[in-house]
Amino acid sequence: MAYSKLGEMLEKGEFILTGELEPEKTCDLSHTIQEAKEMAPYVVAANMTDSPLGIVTINSLAASAIVQRETGLEIIWQQTVRDVNKLGLAGMVMGAHALGIRNVLSLTGDHTNLGDVKEAKPVFDLDSATFVKLVREMVDKKSINGHEIECPPTLHVGAAANPNADPMEAEILKIGRKAEAGAEFIQTQVVYDLDRTIEFLRGIKKYGVPVLLGLFPMKSYGIAKGFDTFVPGVDVPKDVLSKWKGIKTDITDKKAQKEAYDQANYEFFKPFITELKSKNLLDGVHCMAVHYPRIFPKLVEVIKG
Amino acid sequence: MVVITTKKEVPEVLEALKDVNKIAIISCGTCAALCQTGGTEGLKYWSDILEEKGYDIVVGAVIEEVCDNRVMKKDLRKMDNEIAEADAILTASCGLGTQSIVEVLSNKYPKKPVITANDTQFMGMTERIGRFYMRCQGCGDCLLNETGGICPIATCAKGLMNGPCGGMVNGKCEVGNYERDCGWVLIYNRLKELGKLDLYTKLREPRDWSESGHQREVVFR
Repeated sequence: MAYSKLGEMLEKGEFILTGELEPEKTCDLSHTIQEAKEMAPYVVAANMTDSPLGIVTINSLAASAIVQRETGLEIIWQQTVRDVNKLGLAGMVMGAHALGIRNVLSLTGDHTNLGDVKEAKPVFDLDSATFVKLVREMVDKKSINGHEIECPPTLHVGAAANPNADPMEAEILKIGRKAEAGAEFIQTQVVYDLDRTIEFLRGIKKYGVPVLLGLFPMKSYGIAKGFDTFVPGVDVPKDVLSKWKGIKTDITDKKAQKEAYDQANYEFFKPFITELKSKNLLDGVHCMAVHYPRIFPKLVEVIKG
Repeated sequence: MVVITTKKEVPEVLEALKDVNKIAIISCGTCAALCQTGGTEGLKYWSDILEEKGYDIVVGAVIEEVCDNRVMKKDLRKMDNEIAEADAILTASCGLGTQSIVEVLSNKYPKKPVITANDTQFMGMTERIGRFYMRCQGCGDCLLNETGGICPIATCAKGLMNGPCGGMVNGKCEVGNYERDCGWVLIYNRLKELGKLDLYTKLREPRDWSESGHQREVVFR
């Protein structure tokens, strides 16, 4: 049973491209709506982040509902277990359905200690696997703890995976738990290391959950360098960094520079994705290049064929 | 097991004592002594500070297990004259000790404040004096037989039942700038050594807070 376009494509086994929207600390969603409109022609759906790094932003469910309503772009509501207990999450899942949301990505969430409201009580009543299980109980069994839901929600629920995790086996076996809990799709952390990605995707293939691989096309050298420096556990390859640096220093015309960055992303990711597709390891791509919607036509080229 | 305590900042304690002059100091000779927040050391520390600030210390005593109501009843009876004279009691103990004194004295001295000099941190495992680590949160439903003897509630910063989370990098935890071990990687390594990875792959239910999320007591006789 499919409840959304994403669900339909998962059911049919079609290759999926999803995007990501990151609302900020504001009640004005106009920038997010604009970005959603720009990526809408190219993606099946877009994730709406939930206060990443524990830095408080507008509520993810509210943003999901508004952006989906305003743009028609299907949203994958990201919800962490950091700030809400089981009772609250169950209520939010019903609320999400009532607001027209049909996809949710279950996440642990970065610890409050990392963010800008450090004094807040970290909740973590459920974890990302047991939140998946809760959603599946609500959708499939139409109940919470065995108590019937009069009008039950219909949402597809996904989970995250980190191919960069070391030890990798600990992460692979953990994905087994998420699959057992009922995850219908996996979206991964950003990857740049092809060999490692192949090893990981082969490791989780046995669980039979469709995988959308996390990509982060880099809009500029500054973004690439920042990502490499500040995102723990993810290294941007040195040759990529030097190529991006070359574009920054060698091309002064802004328009030409933009085109060069876009082309460089295409040239890096095309063989990467082609290789993974040829090995039958991918079901889609999740593009996390927030504030870089112009890359989507090129990404569509990347995943073609 | 030791209840780990640290000394409160002096101004905070002085603020709590600002309306009194005569003070009885009860210092715990057990856990707090080990943490150097109680015992003879804690007693001397607070006596020196308070005397310098002009307070009158009517009695200072080190008592073993301030948290035990029976001990407190017996020992406080021996110094009842001094307790009667004191405007307030300062406890160099854990929060259990402070509350034990409140419970023991509140009938006879309902208006006498009992002030704690310490912050109670956690139930700790002792590596050596001055190095204490939280390894148990007393959750009431021990998982250790399933997790290789390493507690995820205490060693995972998020207390997850199904870790590790995405905040683990090279076996380290995102909380504390990747300097502390990820509890779930410790559990994975241990279970792997034991040949019991089946326990690691098990999907665990969330903790049941229905009994442990409120006042707890053990009464068996």
